[in-house]
Amino acid sequence: MLKIKNLHAKVGDNEILNGLNLEVKPGELHAIMGPNGSGKSTLAAVLAGREAYEVTDGMVELDGTDLLDLEASDRAREGVFLAFQYPIEIPGVSNLNFMKAAVNAKRAHQGQPPIKAKDFLAKVKECSSLVELDGKLRDRSVNEGFSGGEKKRNEIFQMAILEPKLCVLDETDSGLDIDALRVVSKGVNAMRSKDRAFIVITHYQRLLDHIIPDFVHVLSNGRIVKSGGKELALELEDKGYDWIKEEQNA
Amino acid sequence: MTVLTDIFKSTLPPPTRKSERWKYSPISKLLNSTLSTDSSEIDGGFSNEIAPNPVEGLEAYRLVFRNGKFNHSLSDLPIAKGVICMPQSEVSGEDVPEFKNTYSKTEWVGELNESYHQDGLFLKIDRNIKLDRPVLIHHLTDGKDVASFPRHFVRVEEGGEVDVVVWSSSTKNSSGMYNGILEASIAPNATLTLEKVCNEDGKIYHFSHENIIQERDSKFKMHTFTVKGHWVRNELEIISRGKGTDSIFNGAFLPTGNEHVDNHTTMDHTSTDGTSSELYRGIMYGTSTGVFNGKVFVRPDAQRTNAFQQNTNIVADRGASINAKPELEIYADDVKCSHGCTVGQFDLDALFYLKSRGIDEKAAKALLVEAFLADVISSVPCTELREEIMKIYKERHGW
Ligand SMILES: Nc1ncnc2c1ncn2[C@@H]1O[C@H](COP(=O)(O)OP(=O)(O)OP(=O)(O)O)[C@@H](O)[C@H]1O
Ligand SMILES: [Mg+2]
Repeated sequence: MLKIKNLHAKVGDNEILNGLNLEVKPGELHAIMGPNGSGKSTLAAVLAGREAYEVTDGMVELDGTDLLDLEASDRAREGVFLAFQYPIEIPGVSNLNFMKAAVNAKRAHQGQPPIKAKDFLAKVKECSSLVELDGKLRDRSVNEGFSGGEKKRNEIFQMAILEPKLCVLDETDSGLDIDALRVVSKGVNAMRSKDRAFIVITHYQRLLDHIIPDFVHVLSNGRIVKSGGKELALELEDKGYDWIKEEQNA
Repeated sequence: MTVLTDIFKSTLPPPTRKSERWKYSPISKLLNSTLSTDSSEIDGGFSNEIAPNPVEGLEAYRLVFRNGKFNHSLSDLPIAKGVICMPQSEVSGEDVPEFKNTYSKTEWVGELNESYHQDGLFLKIDRNIKLDRPVLIHHLTDGKDVASFPRHFVRVEEGGEVDVVVWSSSTKNSSGMYNGILEASIAPNATLTLEKVCNEDGKIYHFSHENIIQERDSKFKMHTFTVKGHWVRNELEIISRGKGTDSIFNGAFLPTGNEHVDNHTTMDHTSTDGTSSELYRGIMYGTSTGVFNGKVFVRPDAQRTNAFQQNTNIVADRGASINAKPELEIYADDVKCSHGCTVGQFDLDALFYLKSRGIDEKAAKALLVEAFLADVISSVPCTELREEIMKIYKERHGW
């Protein structure tokens, strides 16, 4: 589904990604861990099409389509979804209007008419109960005045509404209390399917107790320096990142 | 060569860039033109381009003016107890209003209006009378090098209530000057709502000056929308003369091309316990230029005043600019005043967030613009007017 080859990216004069390779097949869930500042969010932003990040080398393909050629909105319509590490507050734009516009943008892209009001509401109901998002939050301005945890739930709510092909979750677990972590994980698990793939960025093994990854990768200095199965996460939890850095330097 | 000052004589000199109030709104091009007032007979016709009622579906009493002159057959005046609503040309005797504001003595623009003024609205609302519909003034400029000098007078007596809409338009090939003054006084416990909309095609230099006097416990609420206009200067002056007045005045402007929009507001608190709330929002497109100047005076006797001012501007394109300046002069000690003035760009984080959900750049910007204007527009009481304004903005900017 997703092929990333030799990806290099920079912001201003900072080289942040230095030859990153990753392949994700349909149905798979890949966890990406790594020290602060290693480039995890940068990878997520580059995948989603943030203009501030300049790709200087490499390629990214989604089901054979060159993603790097597309605008952020077109990538989303092709099925890429990024759950932000820091979701943005947009005063004055209602959450529901926002989602309706997004759903209809995708439908237009697929040659379908706008969604019927009744169908949209049914979907909203279904998806908000999936992540137990309070009805009041649903109706408010996008993320405005939401707590950290509520913002994260709202990301997964949006993901459920948009039914993307490739879901990139950037530290969705940070800021969640224990119950919320369980709820959000349940939501993510419910969305797992053989046609959908996930990249889950996290610092904590505990998320991976709920959302069990097929692969775990360590990102360091802008590239994947170690990959393994779900046991790798346990090993990292136990030993930290130093041993990997030592392996690298050896 | 004939210039404007040869045609319209004045004792005051036209403003130059040396004057602080006109520094960013030079009028030299206007001064070099030769304008005249429309001397043709009223023929009952109006325009093929523009309907006498500019807001579809709006149920309002209507006074229609073309190039400064009142058109009776296209107007619809109220017949209601306690309401005098007519063109000034038809007012006689002791009712003839005396304009009390000093604009004609301090500004060239004001003096021209005083010397060459034409017709306008005369509206008087008696004690405790509430007019059931808004009074719409529609002024059309139609023709080349036309100068119009409308002048409106509004008095709302104690406990009375009225909503006035001042709408100006012009046809595509028109040029010239619109120089309009509105003077209103609001008696104790009375309410005046005013919406001013400039939606002018062609190349008009639009000057308008509203002078509002508020007595004890009166309410004034105003919206100033510059929907379209080649060169627009909106001046609003509110004087709170009695205790406990409430003044709310909001504005929005979205100039594009090489349009110029200037909003000068003055809120003068001279008495106690008044509140004022001012919100102006602008988005500058193309190579447009803008000015915002918001003065708030809190005089020594105006204790317990609560004054709020906010001006937020987005410069959407590289070639556009705005000069924004709040001026607060506070001479009383027990007051609450807050103000904020910003000039910025579209919020790129918000834009990316919207795009990352599949909404294209244009639609994403439209959502952000609508949200940005919502606080200004949502408080317009009349739905048809609100919708018409949004509709024109949308058509203009292709959202
Ligand atoms: N817009 C930017 N401008 C300048 N530097 C940036 C920008 N975005 C990221 N960086 C830098 O790139 C590096 C990688 O940042 P990134 O956010 O990708 O790290 P991360 O792995 O997600 O870290 P964390 O675990 O703390 O979230 C950091 O050194 C960061 O300071
Ligand atoms: Mg990060």
